[in-house]
Amino acid sequence: MKILVADDSRVMRQIVVRTLRQAGYDDVDIVEAEDGADCLAKVGTESPDLVLSDWNMPNMLGIDCLRALRAQGSSVPFGFVTSEGSPEMRDEAAAAGALFLIAKPFTADTFRDALDPVLA
Amino acid sequence: MSAPITHLLDGETVTAVAGEVWSALVGEEEYLLPGFGPVGPAVAGPSSWVTVTGPWNGVVVLTCEQSGTADLTRSVLQMRADEEPTEEDVDDVLRELANILGGNVKSLLPGPSTLGLPETGTPPVRADDEDTCRVSASWRGHDLAITIQGASEAPATTTEVNK
Repeated sequence: MKILVADDSRVMRQIVVRTLRQAGYDDVDIVEAEDGADCLAKVGTESPDLVLSDWNMPNMLGIDCLRALRAQGSSVPFGFVTSEGSPEMRDEAAAAGALFLIAKPFTADTFRDALDPVLA
Repeated sequence: MSAPITHLLDGETVTAVAGEVWSALVGEEEYLLPGFGPVGPAVAGPSSWVTVTGPWNGVVVLTCEQSGTADLTRSVLQMRADEEPTEEDVDDVLRELANILGGNVKSLLPGPSTLGLPETGTPPVRADDEDTCRVSASWRGHDLAITIQGASEAPATTTEVNK
């Protein structure tokens, strides 16, 4: 099992990985991407089982990365972990093919609720 | 032009948002002791901020007393008490806290808005006026302030992000 964590903040990548461990995903391999473009490239090279992506990133937004992936025919499970969780963004994320949107701040329980159905 | 921030948010709401961010990022047992609102006293120290662009334009700024930044960084990064965080660690932590505070404040404002990328340094704030909401708080004895202040026009960001 491999999860790609995309966030331009090193601190937030660290917190997301820590929360994954706290949520019980101890044995997953973690790959990190530092912006949307890096995420897009690493989905190709790393073939993750799930992408957890920030929305607001330099070079390429998370939502544009997701759209690019779907345009390329990739169906990799994709969820957002973002500081913004407005209804408009949730609708936009769902329309682009995201499975969930976790708004920061989050807890290990939030991660379990969103990820368990995907990774089960 | 939107109503001033004091008509859109109150200090109690901002304090509640900050408390949630603190317990999730800084630690479950970490509490922010609320200070004054809606315009608490300014705090001198390093600042981080994000811009909000939309019906309401402005910045959300986190300022932490210098004495508290290393402690805050250690808590967020779960470092040992004797570890000294690097400047980059401190900057990253302050930026991320401002980013999450800004995102949560943005979700309370009317209409679709865009959040800029977080920055640190000297925040683009001016003298307090009606378009300023500042809550002050204390964490482990260190003073903090969250200032939400309108801009007269859409604020410039070093990295413009279009939603």
